[in-house]
Amino acid sequence: MVTYIVRRLILLLPVLLGVSLVSFGLLQLVPGDPALILAGEEATEEVLARIRHEYGLNQPLPVQFLAYLRHAVTGDLGISIQSRQPVAVLLGQRFPFTLKLAFLAIVVSATLGVVAGVIAATRRNSTLDLAALLGSLVGISLPIFWLGLLAILVFAVKLRWLPAGGTGTLAHLILPALVLGAASSAVIARTTRASMLEVLRQDYVRTARAKGVDERLVIYRHALKNAMIPILTVFGLEFGYNLGGAVLTETVFSLPGVGRLIVEGIFARDYPVVQGALLLVATTFVLVNLLTDVAYAFFDPRIRYD
Amino acid sequence: MKRTMALWLVGLLAASGLILAQSAVGQQPTAGGVLTFAAGSDPDSLDPQNTQSNPGEQVNRMMYDNLVRFNAKMQIEPALAQSWTQSPDGLTWTFKLRKGVRFHDGSPFDAKAVKYFFDRVLGDEKPFKASLYTPFVQGAQVLDDNTVRVTLKQPFAAFLFRLAHSAGAIVSPAAHQKWGKDFALHPVGTGPFKFVEWIKGDRVVVERSDAYWGGRPLLDRVVVKTVKEDSARVLMLESGDADLIINITPEDIPRLRKDPRFVIESIPTARALFITINVKKKPFDDVRVRRALNHAVNREAIVKSIYQGNAEVIPGIVAPLQNGYAKLSGYAYDSKKAKELLAQAGVPALKVKLWSPKGRYVKDFELAQAVQQDLAAVGIEATLSTMEWGAYLSATKTPAEQTDRELFLLGWSPSTGEAHWGTFPLLHSSQQAPKGDNRGFFASKALDDAMDKAGTATSDKARLAALREAQQIVINDASHVFLISPNMIVGASKKVHAVVNLPLELTYLTEKSWKEK
Repeated sequence: MVTYIVRRLILLLPVLLGVSLVSFGLLQLVPGDPALILAGEEATEEVLARIRHEYGLNQPLPVQFLAYLRHAVTGDLGISIQSRQPVAVLLGQRFPFTLKLAFLAIVVSATLGVVAGVIAATRRNSTLDLAALLGSLVGISLPIFWLGLLAILVFAVKLRWLPAGGTGTLAHLILPALVLGAASSAVIARTTRASMLEVLRQDYVRTARAKGVDERLVIYRHALKNAMIPILTVFGLEFGYNLGGAVLTETVFSLPGVGRLIVEGIFARDYPVVQGALLLVATTFVLVNLLTDVAYAFFDPRIRYD
Repeated sequence: MKRTMALWLVGLLAASGLILAQSAVGQQPTAGGVLTFAAGSDPDSLDPQNTQSNPGEQVNRMMYDNLVRFNAKMQIEPALAQSWTQSPDGLTWTFKLRKGVRFHDGSPFDAKAVKYFFDRVLGDEKPFKASLYTPFVQGAQVLDDNTVRVTLKQPFAAFLFRLAHSAGAIVSPAAHQKWGKDFALHPVGTGPFKFVEWIKGDRVVVERSDAYWGGRPLLDRVVVKTVKEDSARVLMLESGDADLIINITPEDIPRLRKDPRFVIESIPTARALFITINVKKKPFDDVRVRRALNHAVNREAIVKSIYQGNAEVIPGIVAPLQNGYAKLSGYAYDSKKAKELLAQAGVPALKVKLWSPKGRYVKDFELAQAVQQDLAAVGIEATLSTMEWGAYLSATKTPAEQTDRELFLLGWSPSTGEAHWGTFPLLHSSQQAPKGDNRGFFASKALDDAMDKAGTATSDKARLAALREAQQIVINDASHVFLISPNMIVGASKKVHAVVNLPLELTYLTEKSWKEK
């Protein structure tokens, strides 16, 4: 198992190299001059020249890319063109918000989704099942942006139960986590339902019932545990996606996370920030996938990694 | 004898003033409280000589002072400098500084600090805003602790306006020397509020500086939050999470106005919106075509329907709140005249390219659409297209040989608040893109001369006369399709008082701002 994990971690390096190359290339293709955007409409030629010189924007592209790589391997991800702060520091400040939000969201969506999916599967074709299916359809279809604003309108403006956005306390994360989690829970619910239905048909479930095992134990200990593999996959994907920064949720709720950092960086053509952030996102995604794969082995002892 | 009389007079005036104020307002300013201000973007820097956007300038105005500042009517008034004199040849300005002022770090504010400011902007560090001063400032000398002499390379009539610009804020030399490049993260000024923390992308927190020379600030703390989404900002005001918000979209105004908890103010700004014409491209080199474009647009209808009255028609490129604005008559809405002029110029049916940004200025794209419709009514088929702001900036700054741009919407708000900076960068022939912001390549010797006269004038009278002349030339030559000046819309809870809304689209708090409990 350990060698497997180490091997997977080593594979991280070519992934990061590829991400660097692609993000660098794509950013250069986009029209727009970061110096102009930073300096604003009232920029003089000397200010623009100074910005370009400071960030090496005039050098040939391969030179810029190699210089970037050289610094990146030592942990120096460059300086943000917009805020003139080290990119690593910026990421260090913003990532905890994204991490907290993604974690809370996955807790919400896992709870909601799995419970709804199990209920739907065990009471198949009943009204509860239809309700859960409809609920998940609405959840997947509703734009998260709209849902977020609606949540603020109801819970912050009308009811005054929760803050309308920003940071400060755990209460500030409740609405965003609920909104983000609701969207993910729909996918998890559907996957859980399908997987559970598959498992509940199996012979060993019939045997367990015949043995006289309590129905709840049958469902949660025997069936659900065996149904977890596809559900885990979805957990991993959703968590990884949210760690990449749920930019719409972050924008609506004014959370300073990585998603907004990337999008704002793209609009400002802040190359170092976008590249650095994408490297971070790629790393977290690879690690989450690894975690998911290791978790498979926990749920299904037949899976071995050596 | 004189002195005691003067003191009595002051006392009497103060007392009567207080009584009048009491009876007029019926409310006593209360000390204390935290005010939450939701702005649309994060500051780019808190170092005034390197700050390039309004969010940063707003926060800086709470933490720093300049030698002189703007009052609400955009006139110059003393701040850190109590008085000043100008030599007859206009080359030397002598400032007498306020005594007993200290920076937030305890170091004294004196003539050495002012000299440090000038040395910094003129020196090798080359902060971003240095070009506001380098073309015409020679240097500064300390005459004594409270007197500083500034020498100019040539007379510059708008010098005081440059000093009142946000980039003229005086920073603590001790702090700047200590922190160097990181000064922006540890700002130290003489302002009513001192820096507490800046969580990037989230908020800036400042707290009152008890020793402020203008009096102990009434508010304890100001939290400036970054809330990007327009609707979210409005919701924050309604939920009470914000006491003050800016950049409210016109659609939200009627609903907020009906709510007795809030006060919504629509304030005229120094910003002008216009459509730049590429005068190097045929047929826009013909002044008749440009005048026709101007006659075709129904500006009054635009102000009414698109801006719901929250804008003002302007005759030229200068907005009324820019110091030096001349009240001239612009182009009347006359589609018949427009068609005549087009026929005379030999282009009765014209196809043009109209570009506009989306979301950069208030209702920019809707404004462009209205212009497109007005042009269609006089036989001009305009294809309207938009692009993302960063791309737009680049696409409108390429030199004449490399571009096919024809008509494009832009805005301009001179951050010095006066008309020379409202005209020179956009129209002087030396500022043609890509070097400067004359993105339409306009060149007129008469205008250049008028601008140069306005720039070097040694008396206010001469400056204003030259600016008036320049504005008339611009209108006659129809360098742009002149449009409107949009208002800035600020919303606050009824409990908030004495917020400063400067027509430079800057909203901030001072020592006099207060909040009811």
